[in-house]
Amino acid sequence: MEGKYEFEKKFRDQVLRCSSCGFCRAVCPVLGLTKRPALNARGKMLILKEVMDGNIELNDELTETLFQCTTCASCTNQCPSGVDPPEIIKEVRKDMVQRGTCHPAFEGMNRVLQEHTNIYGEDEPEDFERERNKKAEYVFFIGCVGSYREDEATMATLDILDHLKVDYTLIDEVCCSGALEDVGFKINQTLARKNMDLILATGARTVITGCPYCSRTFNNKTQYSALKDAGVNIIHISQFLKDFDLGVKTDKVVTYHDPCDLGRHCNIYDEPREIIHRIAPNFVEMRHNRANALCCGAGGGVRGAFAKNSIAMARRRLEEVEEAGAEVVLTECNSCVHNLNNAKLRAQKFKIFTSTQFLNQLLEEAG
Amino acid sequence: MDTTIKQTLMEIVGSENFTDSLIDLIAYSKDASEHRHRPDAAVWPVNTEQISAIMKLANREKVPVVPRGAGTSLAGLAVPEQGGIILDLGRMDKIIDINIEDRLAVVQPGVIYADLDRALSPHGFFFPPDPASGSVCTLGGNVATNAGGIKGAKYGTTKDYVLALEVVLPDGRILHTGSKCMKSVSGYDLTRLFVGSEGTLGVVTEITFKVNPKPPMNSTSMATFETLEDAGRAVSEIMYSGILPSGLEIVDQQSLTAINENTDLGLPEVEAMLVAETDGHTREETEFQMKKIVSIFKKNHASTVKHEDDKEKAEALWTARKSAYGVAARINNNLFVEDLAVPMSKVPDMLRAISDIAKKHDVKMPTVGHAGDGNLHPVICFDGTNADEVKRVEEASVELFEKVIELGGTLTGEHGIGLAKIPFMGLEHDEISMDIMRSIKRLFDPNNILNPGKMGLEE
Repeated sequence: MEGKYEFEKKFRDQVLRCSSCGFCRAVCPVLGLTKRPALNARGKMLILKEVMDGNIELNDELTETLFQCTTCASCTNQCPSGVDPPEIIKEVRKDMVQRGTCHPAFEGMNRVLQEHTNIYGEDEPEDFERERNKKAEYVFFIGCVGSYREDEATMATLDILDHLKVDYTLIDEVCCSGALEDVGFKINQTLARKNMDLILATGARTVITGCPYCSRTFNNKTQYSALKDAGVNIIHISQFLKDFDLGVKTDKVVTYHDPCDLGRHCNIYDEPREIIHRIAPNFVEMRHNRANALCCGAGGGVRGAFAKNSIAMARRRLEEVEEAGAEVVLTECNSCVHNLNNAKLRAQKFKIFTSTQFLNQLLEEAG
Repeated sequence: MDTTIKQTLMEIVGSENFTDSLIDLIAYSKDASEHRHRPDAAVWPVNTEQISAIMKLANREKVPVVPRGAGTSLAGLAVPEQGGIILDLGRMDKIIDINIEDRLAVVQPGVIYADLDRALSPHGFFFPPDPASGSVCTLGGNVATNAGGIKGAKYGTTKDYVLALEVVLPDGRILHTGSKCMKSVSGYDLTRLFVGSEGTLGVVTEITFKVNPKPPMNSTSMATFETLEDAGRAVSEIMYSGILPSGLEIVDQQSLTAINENTDLGLPEVEAMLVAETDGHTREETEFQMKKIVSIFKKNHASTVKHEDDKEKAEALWTARKSAYGVAARINNNLFVEDLAVPMSKVPDMLRAISDIAKKHDVKMPTVGHAGDGNLHPVICFDGTNADEVKRVEEASVELFEKVIELGGTLTGEHGIGLAKIPFMGLEHDEISMDIMRSIKRLFDPNNILNPGKMGLEE
């Protein structure tokens, strides 16, 4: 059946196949926080069924639920019927934007990336005291959060790369703009072109990204296919570092938070743990881990659009850190670090770092 | 709904716990059944007093109220068929007390089954009736449907564990039933009356459960049978052998074929597969029981028998049973997870009938079930947009339940009547029985405001 909206053409069968069993309730971070079924994947699929039946329109009344999904894909992982709600929701958001219905925070993000080169709209790029745009074996691509919000973590990663004598260069990078695809817009071609030109000009065979989302974007989005066509390999820093033993250890109790973008979306669970196992014999898993890991609440535009809930979701994740008795939480995503740190209560004494940041700290302590 | 009613609801629960937004009304219009109807408003009460005030208001204004947990009902129990107010109990999710000395757990109705299980685990205890939706379903819902599960044959269903209830009646009064004692015959058993009453008599606001010590060891075996009759005989023989397996599950040929068509598991497409589990405190105990079961499998011509006591290897034997629902859910757009029970000795007859009915009406009905207590789940997979197929499904359903009753069975073992089984109530219950049920409903809810339209109680 030909639908009125684009999402129907692609996903009509999937929406219909949702049997409303409700098993997604067990894992949805938004439902877990709000206990409001309209915000869960099942609720969203029911709403979309009514849209497809012509009972309701994709209008402003629906933004509160359709724009409030972190696209963490826990529901996809849990769904017995094989429905992939985040992919459907991303397509629906595009339909909504087409019709002039959008959350203002998401619109703002698109506007910022038309006028600026990063999601924060900052004009002065951070100087990481490293050479840029030179010929090198590797490009290290930092990402917006690492450049403008978690610059200490980035500095630590660069220190590690230096310590390992890796032949890398930074570039005058701009936002990969992959996130726009999640919030109803399309990747900004100008930005994509600029990143690709800069990467290819270095002659690097491999791009190491500090951000798992950038890695996903470069690897999976057709707008970046020129990289693959040129034989450039794109990996996340955790995949790169897993082969190095830096010879440092901690006796602290350490846990690991699987970022959705690296875990469920890229199936990378073991590499970060390999790194951590080497440095932290006292490793503990949180109750929800690997494919079942609870989202930090930052993804899918939710941090910008529904900040209060986003922080509250991060707080629920941190409760599991306490439950596990960890002194250090490591993760592989600057965005997760940022959101979790913002949510951390003063009474919570554990520390939150990226794995590389923690590694570098141990290196510095060891002198 | 009158705006003054909405205003009063807001005053009772606070505006943050009230909604009449379109998105909420749609989300509350359906449960895991195929029934759909929007409410007019929904509230998230946080205590018994609020629920009492809501019921007083609804009773006065004659507005339907539908209590709801996780909305995982497969029979439409949570669908607001006549509109009105959804009472979402999900925010009343506190485990009030775990008292191992008295073998008790006291919970609010919105506690999720898995959360209680997790809380009991460090004490070496568990709450045995384990529905397949255990990771999401709420205990209030389990009480309302008298939920069962895989462990039914040995451990019974929810009704065997509810000792006491706090219930808000349709007129707003707060009733306390039962006691914290393991034994009590003090007056009518009002507790049991509410268990399985599908939210038609009162709103359960606090539950006192008996909990069981959890045997730490398991043994598992799997057997395939060329004929349903052999499998059926094996089930009967096991159940009167003196051994009570903690699980005895059956997977039929349609399921095995469907699993093979959709996965690379390469299962033998025999007429029936049985999976048995025993539990106990020592390996000797579980193995003693399992050896007896395995010998019964072999005696009844099992074509293959696999037996594991290692936990991880045992998981592999459960694969077919555990993947059956997921596969059925992908076959087509719509599915009825049917629920029926027959006396244990009739399990093979019923499975044969299911297979014949499926063929006759050209309908897909892969079936799994809790063979150990005669409770079967044919999963009818169909395309709801195909009118001809829908008609065939309806005809097949009628024949299915006629056969159930003919075999001395019952319309539902653990999902309830709700909306889905109303057309069949007359097959199982005569006029006297229906008259008594309706009288009970009138006694508690003379204005018919609490989950109206369910269980075939309306004349």
